[in-house]
Amino acid sequence: MSESTFMGVERDRIDWSPRIDFSKCNDCMDCVKFCPHQVFEVDENAKPKLKVKNPNNCVVFCRACSKTCGPDAITFPDKPETTNMIKAIRKAEKQAKEDE
Amino acid sequence: MSKTICVLPCNGLDKCAGDVSRRVALQLAQSDAVELICPVLLNQNKSRYEKVLESGELTVIDGCNTRCASKLAGDLELFIKEKVNVSEVAKALNIKLGVEIREDEDSKAVVQEVLEKISSSVAVQAESEFIEPESVAYDSFSHGKFIFKIPKSNYFFNENDCWVTVSGNMARIGVSDYVQQNLSDILYVDPPEIGDEFEQFDDLGSIESGKAVFEIISPVSGTVVAVNTALSDAPELVNESPYEKGWLVEVRLSDFEEDQDLLHDCPTYFKFLQRKVEEVDV
Repeated sequence: MSESTFMGVERDRIDWSPRIDFSKCNDCMDCVKFCPHQVFEVDENAKPKLKVKNPNNCVVFCRACSKTCGPDAITFPDKPETTNMIKAIRKAEKQAKEDE
Repeated sequence: MSKTICVLPCNGLDKCAGDVSRRVALQLAQSDAVELICPVLLNQNKSRYEKVLESGELTVIDGCNTRCASKLAGDLELFIKEKVNVSEVAKALNIKLGVEIREDEDSKAVVQEVLEKISSSVAVQAESEFIEPESVAYDSFSHGKFIFKIPKSNYFFNENDCWVTVSGNMARIGVSDYVQQNLSDILYVDPPEIGDEFEQFDDLGSIESGKAVFEIISPVSGTVVAVNTALSDAPELVNESPYEKGWLVEVRLSDFEEDQDLLHDCPTYFKFLQRKVEEVDV
């Protein structure tokens, strides 16, 4: 998905995806059922079963799956930090274009 | 309380938060104006409660974020007037309820807080200071059987499909036509609290259909001054008029100039959305 972007910044340069605390996760898979973007994957034979398969499919700034999580096992990166990073990349790219 | 209130709580047997919702429901039921709905029986036999649900408004009490009671109401397409989540109330009070069912001071404090939240649900809010435009002109494009409308001007969008429109230092926030069509019939709008301060891209509550829950990701930073109270009786306004009557939150802006750096104007969002619906099969 290298062609996908968020506000003009390549998606794979933005670190935004769910982090799972497996000491809390109870394998209910509500997050998998909830997320329409195939961010998660379930492997019945693996331990843990749940995996963040496609982190770059995750909608930047969406944290909705963490709210469906009964045991509160899902967290996300710091939002203001992410916002500032996106702004910094955009600024740098704009500058680079102007310099050309 | 003139009208009956139907209370659908979490079943309350799994863990402490559930037990709190059960205790709240039992306390509420001491009033003649309140009818309790057993989630297990409702699931088994909806017709048992049909009369009660017709005569009153539904309040749902979820124990934890598994939200069994909300999901049951959603599955049965029941219109929810009000919703409380015990775990979130406990979190706000800095109380950890844990798994074990117990009747101590902490759990009593949460019961009390949830009860207060339910009785004072109609938050006092100031008169709206937002000056509505006389009319909004739209552009549209079609994709398959869908037609997507986007205002021609004066609205700004983030790439999370939420809009903001500004009047002075006040603004209104809502969701785009695309979100509304994706969710289909909206059954419940969960608004933020009046007075809440928030940053750009923080969440401002959610809207919910039988199909999914959509988190409102704020296009701007500011303070909540009002919520659209019409939506508690008529959440379908978000479907019918996503950019006007179906606005969600009114806010006082804190730094719109800065926020605009990460927003699209109408023509840019139009192109963004066209690409998006091409990629995602709607």
